[in-house]
Amino acid sequence: MSEPVNTPGPEEANEEANEELRAEPNVEPAGPPRGGPPPPRPTPDLGAPIPDATERVPVLSVRGLRRSYKIGDRNLEILHGIDLDLHPGELVALVGSSGAGKSTLLHILGLLDRPTEGQVNVLAQDAWSRSTVERAHLRNKEIGFVFQFYHLLPELTALENALLPAMIANSRAGYRRHKDELEGRAHELLDRFGMTPRLQHRPSALSGGERQRVAMARALLHNPRILLADEPTGNLDSATGEKVLSLLFEEQRRREFTMVLVTHDERIAKLCRRTLHMEDGLIQADSTIPMPD
Amino acid sequence: MFRSFLSWRYLTARRTNLIGISGILVGVGALILILSIMTGFLEQSRDTVRGSLSDLIVAPVQGQGWSSRSVPSEPERLLKEVRAKEGVRSATAHLNWFGLMTLPDRVGHNQRLLGSSEHAGYSGVHLVGIDVRTDERLLGVIAAAPLMARGLRYTPPPLQDELTTTELLNGLAREPRNGARVRNPLRPFAPPPGYDPVGRPLPRVVVGEQLFGMLGLGRGSVLELMTAVQDPTSGEWGFNNRRFAVAGTFRSGENEMDLGRIYMERGELADFLGETLSFSEVLVRLDEYDGEGTRIRDELRSELAEAGVIRGGDHAFREVRTWEEFRGNLIGAIENERVLMMIMLSLVLLVAGFTVFAILSMMVTEKRRDIGILCAIGATPKGILDTFLYIAFWDALIGATLGALIGTWAAFKIDPIERWLSDKLGVEIFNRDVYLFDHIPSIVDPFAVALIVMGAFTCALLFAAIPALRAARLDPLTALRYE
Repeated sequence: MSEPVNTPGPEEANEEANEELRAEPNVEPAGPPRGGPPPPRPTPDLGAPIPDATERVPVLSVRGLRRSYKIGDRNLEILHGIDLDLHPGELVALVGSSGAGKSTLLHILGLLDRPTEGQVNVLAQDAWSRSTVERAHLRNKEIGFVFQFYHLLPELTALENALLPAMIANSRAGYRRHKDELEGRAHELLDRFGMTPRLQHRPSALSGGERQRVAMARALLHNPRILLADEPTGNLDSATGEKVLSLLFEEQRRREFTMVLVTHDERIAKLCRRTLHMEDGLIQADSTIPMPD
Repeated sequence: MFRSFLSWRYLTARRTNLIGISGILVGVGALILILSIMTGFLEQSRDTVRGSLSDLIVAPVQGQGWSSRSVPSEPERLLKEVRAKEGVRSATAHLNWFGLMTLPDRVGHNQRLLGSSEHAGYSGVHLVGIDVRTDERLLGVIAAAPLMARGLRYTPPPLQDELTTTELLNGLAREPRNGARVRNPLRPFAPPPGYDPVGRPLPRVVVGEQLFGMLGLGRGSVLELMTAVQDPTSGEWGFNNRRFAVAGTFRSGENEMDLGRIYMERGELADFLGETLSFSEVLVRLDEYDGEGTRIRDELRSELAEAGVIRGGDHAFREVRTWEEFRGNLIGAIENERVLMMIMLSLVLLVAGFTVFAILSMMVTEKRRDIGILCAIGATPKGILDTFLYIAFWDALIGATLGALIGTWAAFKIDPIERWLSDKLGVEIFNRDVYLFDHIPSIVDPFAVALIVMGAFTCALLFAAIPALRAARLDPLTALRYE
């Protein structure tokens, strides 16, 4: 994680939407992954090894996080003050009953929602003190999303869907200049997920599992440091879900990104080294399985 | 690059976008076609109206009664002054009067045709006395022949008469539809072929083609004209009538002229009026009207007044006018019609703009989740705004380009199109007898085409701005949750 974060300066944070993104086309190499070659696989599958998390700077941290919604005349508080540090390479399960505030927390971590109170630091910088363009830049390059309902664009093919973050990050000229590299990266990801025969198919022609793999390829195209997965297997049958999850875990081990996985399924949570139990808008328990010797 | 890429995908994936494109296409095409035709009509009408007038009209106010000493009652001095003016190509005098006409042989027939039982077949006509100096010039050349035979160079003085000053010569030479051409357009009042009257030959007149056709006249037909003139000394009104023979017809293309104007020699008309008036106005043809017209008009106003051939002062503005000032109402009416037509047709573009607005509004609602997804993977609000504006841009680009091409093509091919349509529908769409044009006049103005295309773009983008802004302002979470 020694690579500096390439974010625009405040003077560039203006209305010119994605100009900053265009200025420097996102063509980070697909491999080897940021953290070097994948380490030996631990048992159980607890994610990438974290030698000493306490010594490392959190990739994502929140302090005093509160989120309330105004319903009629009263305020409904969903999150009641959450402090959380997520370190590089951590695989974190976020579990809790419905209405516990898991998704709200996930959306705030992904900069899609603004907290009513508190601070969200992404890569050691306060995200909400930055401009809209800079936040969009962070979402594009540093944060990947995998949704329960895939959320692919129906007009685009599997390959185009996977390439969408690169299209957003680059100008037409920039994209053309790095077309081979960007498409090579998308091809590689989709190939790893077994989607090569389905590259030119639109989402309507794909099965649920295939759609989720395309969504994963899209989320990982820019090799993000953070991946937020909101019940990625929630809409899949158990066999497909397992396959999808094993692919996701494998990528996490290879690339060593920090992954937060929202799930109801305790079995899935047990596959993660760290588990956060949410209840009534608070993290009631934060447990970490120690690394095997 | 996602803005143009995604917008194109959205455009091609939704057939409803074709409605927006078609709206712009029809609007732009119709606007170009109609505007070209209206411009053509305007130009044609200007030519027609100008044709009978020439560039400048000098009509001295001859005072109360015709014996006023303030300006000469004969046109020679005025003509001399005008012709001496730099920039004047030709000048000629007109004598205008009004009279009643009848066909002495067919009173009952006239009555039926003219629908005027109260006046026993008399019809009001505009009598115009003109100078045609072809014979005079010919005589000059003949007189100079002995000199030329001795090797002396002789250049006859430039001829300045009706035929060099107005478009009458064209009107005489033009292929008639219902009329009969004069024997020689350069000598319009020469006896027509086969004219062999018993006794003294009648003075000849040239009548408008429509009048000729309506009354069923032929070359050599006899007309009886009657006028009322006031005696300059006693002030009493006297009535003159005289018979004339028809030498042939002219076709100016202007309805009013072709139906009610009769040309004869100015001397003949002055004699008919009892020598009470010898001219009414002097028509002036300039070397270059468009750039110099108003300047020469202004200079003539002062110079002619100074020379004492017009009254000048407050009268000068009425005495020396350009043809556009003279026929300002008619030209203004056509121009107004063109502007009105343009405004009305612009509404078509407005409707097309509304269609774009409606389609994009629908699309923004339909694509709410896509907007949320795009936000989640890093699109900025401006990127979203641009994506939807791009859709309107594609609509305008395709619609306006095709519309401009089709409209321009149709404007150039309007005649074959009209004939084909008339043939297919069995209805004469463009009545050439009514308009007196051989073809539908159409002038494509590239500047107007560019303006219309730009208008279409502006309209589409302005109407698209509202739904595009709505899309850009969507809360990503609300958008993502949209089902």
